[in-house]
Amino acid sequence: MDEDELLKGERVEKILSPHPLSFMRYQSLSIFLVIWGVLVLWVINASEWQKFFVNNFLLSLSLWAIGLLLAGIVASLITIRWSIFILYTCIVASGTGFIFWLGLQDVIGVFVPVYTIFISILGFIFVEFYRRSHKYYISNQRIKFKGGIITKQERTLRYDKVTDINAKQGIIGQIFGFGTIIPISQSGFGLGSDKSFAGGGVSLGEKKVKFLGLFGGGKEVQTPRARSYYELHGVYPYKEVKKLVEEMVQGNVITPYQQEQVAFQKEQVDIQKQMRDLLKMQSDSKADQKDNEDGNE
Amino acid sequence: MEASSIDIVVFAPLAPILGVLLFWFIQLVFIESEKYLLSKIRPKHEPFCRFTNFLGIFFQTICHALGYTVTKSGISNFYIDIDYGKVAPKKEKKGIFEWVSNVFLFIGPFFIPAFLLLICLFFLMNSGFEITTATQLQELRYTFGEQITSFGASLFSFTNAFLNFLFNIDLLHPAHFGFLILMIFLGMGIRPSYIGKEKKEKVDMLYDLKNIKALFLNKPLYLIILFTLAYILFYVSFWFNINWYVALFVILGWLSIISILSIIIADLILILIKTSDEISGNKKALPYITMPTSYIFARVFFFYIPTDFTRPLSILILILSTITVTYFLTKRKTDKFKTKSDIKKLKKKRKGVKDG
Repeated sequence: MDEDELLKGERVEKILSPHPLSFMRYQSLSIFLVIWGVLVLWVINASEWQKFFVNNFLLSLSLWAIGLLLAGIVASLITIRWSIFILYTCIVASGTGFIFWLGLQDVIGVFVPVYTIFISILGFIFVEFYRRSHKYYISNQRIKFKGGIITKQERTLRYDKVTDINAKQGIIGQIFGFGTIIPISQSGFGLGSDKSFAGGGVSLGEKKVKFLGLFGGGKEVQTPRARSYYELHGVYPYKEVKKLVEEMVQGNVITPYQQEQVAFQKEQVDIQKQMRDLLKMQSDSKADQKDNEDGNE
Repeated sequence: MEASSIDIVVFAPLAPILGVLLFWFIQLVFIESEKYLLSKIRPKHEPFCRFTNFLGIFFQTICHALGYTVTKSGISNFYIDIDYGKVAPKKEKKGIFEWVSNVFLFIGPFFIPAFLLLICLFFLMNSGFEITTATQLQELRYTFGEQITSFGASLFSFTNAFLNFLFNIDLLHPAHFGFLILMIFLGMGIRPSYIGKEKKEKVDMLYDLKNIKALFLNKPLYLIILFTLAYILFYVSFWFNINWYVALFVILGWLSIISILSIIIADLILILIKTSDEISGNKKALPYITMPTSYIFARVFFFYIPTDFTRPLSILILILSTITVTYFLTKRKTDKFKTKSDIKKLKKKRKGVKDG
C-alpha cells in the first residue's frame, strides 16, 4: 500500500500474499495435463499396446481427446464448475486444429504429449502470475485486498463492519501452514450459496405418442465464499494471521459492557442538557422579571 | 529319521508364529531408525515431517475404521488432520468386538497398508507367491523344523522375486512408477511420529509394544482363543495334508518384507535429504535433479546401445550418480573454508622470517 493510500493514523501491520501452493485447485488442472501427456506418450510409443497406434493417428487422437474430455467432465461435476470442461475442450479443439493445420498426423505420438505438457507449463505460469497479483494489507484500521492480472480488483473492509470470520485450512494448508480467512461483512460480502436442483422426466407411449412430465425442486444453502482477491486466500502463517485479524476485529467492535456504558453516558448527557435548559430558562425568567421590575420603577 | 509326536502336536504350530514375530520386530527396528532420521531433519523440513505424520495418522485411522466396519459397529464420526485422527463407532460394542477393533488399531497399521501393495504386486510380479514345501521327507512333514523352513523358504522365494522386481523396475512405466511412489508413502508413513497437537507424544517402538501388551494382557482369554484357533487350523492342515497354516503366516511375512523394504527406501531418501541439507545455497537441489536426469540419460543411452540389463544398469547409474554428485557437493562445502595458501606453509615461512 502506498504512503498516500494510508488513512490518518493508519499503520500497516502485515502485508501478505497467497502461499505458492494455495491455488492447488488450479495447479492440479495443469498437473493432470502433465500426467496425461506422459501417459499418452508412454501408451502410444512404449507400451505393449503400441502396435495398435502405429499408422493409426485417429486412434491416438481419440485416446488423448477422450481422456481429457472425460477428466474435464468428472472434474466439472465434482467442483460444479463447467469452466474446467470448457477449458479442456478448448485444449482438445486447438490441439486437433494444430494437427490438421500443420499436417502432423505422422508425428502425433510425439506432438500430442509435447503439446499437452506445453499447455500445462503455460497453465502453471498463468496461475503463478495470478497468485502474484494478489496482495493483502492488514492495517490497524482496515483490511485492503488487491488482485487481478488485467482488471485490478480492490476491496477495503473496516474492522467494525466485520460480523463474522470464516477460516478454513485444507490438508496441504495444514502441512505447509497456510489457510484462507474470509471476513464476512454486514452487507453479506463474503457469503455465497450452494444450489442443488433435482429434476426428472417421464416419457410415456410408443412411437409418436409421447407424454413428458418434468418434476423438479431446488435448495439453497448459504456458505462463506468469496473470490481470492476478496478474501485472505492461502495466507501464511495462517494461525498468526487469523489471531491478528480476530484481535483487530475484537478491538474495533463495541462489547455489551461498552454499549451499556455508552448508553449510560448518553443518558447522563441528556440529563445534563435538560438541566442546562432548565437553568437557562430559570435565569432567563429571572432576568425578564428583573427587567420588568426595573421598567415599573 | 522320524518326527516326534510332541513336536508335531505342540511345537510345530508355533514355528510360523515365531517367524512372523521375528520379522515384525525387524520391522519395528526399521521404523525406529526412520523416526530417528525424521527427528534429525525436522528443524529444516517441518512441512515434510508433518506430511509423513499425516500419512501415519491416515493409515492408523483407516485401520481403526476398518476394525469398526469388520465388527459391524458402524462409524458415526471420522476425523483426521495432520496431528490427530479419531474414529467413533455408531454402536459401542464390548467384549470380542471391541478387542478386534483394537487389534485393527494397534496391529493393523503394520500390515494393512502393506496389504494394498501386495495386491498391486500380484499384478506386477509374475513369480514369488508360491508356498514352498521345504522337506522332501514325508516323515518330517508338519514338524517344527519343517514348518519354520517352509516359512523361511517361502519368504526367501518372495523376497528374491520382489528384489528382482525392484532392481528391474521401469521408472518410465506408469504402473511401476506409481508402485514405487506408493512404496515410499508406505515407508514414510507406516507409523506417525507424534499424536496430538499440544502433547508431542512420540510414537516409538516402546509406545507400540506397550499398547499391544496392554491389548493382550487385558483380555488373556482372547489370546488363548486365538492360539487355540491357530492350533486347530494347523491340525486341519495336517489332516488334509495341505499346508494352509504356513500359507496364512507366510502372507503376514510377505507384508513384513514389503514394509521393511519400503522403510529402507524411505530411509535412503531421508538420508539424502539430511545429507543435501549440508550443501549450501541452491546447489542442494542438484542431487534431486541428478536422480531423474541421470536415469533418463541412461535409458536414452541404452535405447541406442541396447544391453541385456538396461533397467538395472539405469537404476545403478541413478544411484551412483546421485551419490557422486552429493559427495562432491558436500566435500566442496568444507573446501570453502580453507584458505588459499596452506596454513602449514605460512607458518613455516613465518618461522623462517623470524629465524632470520
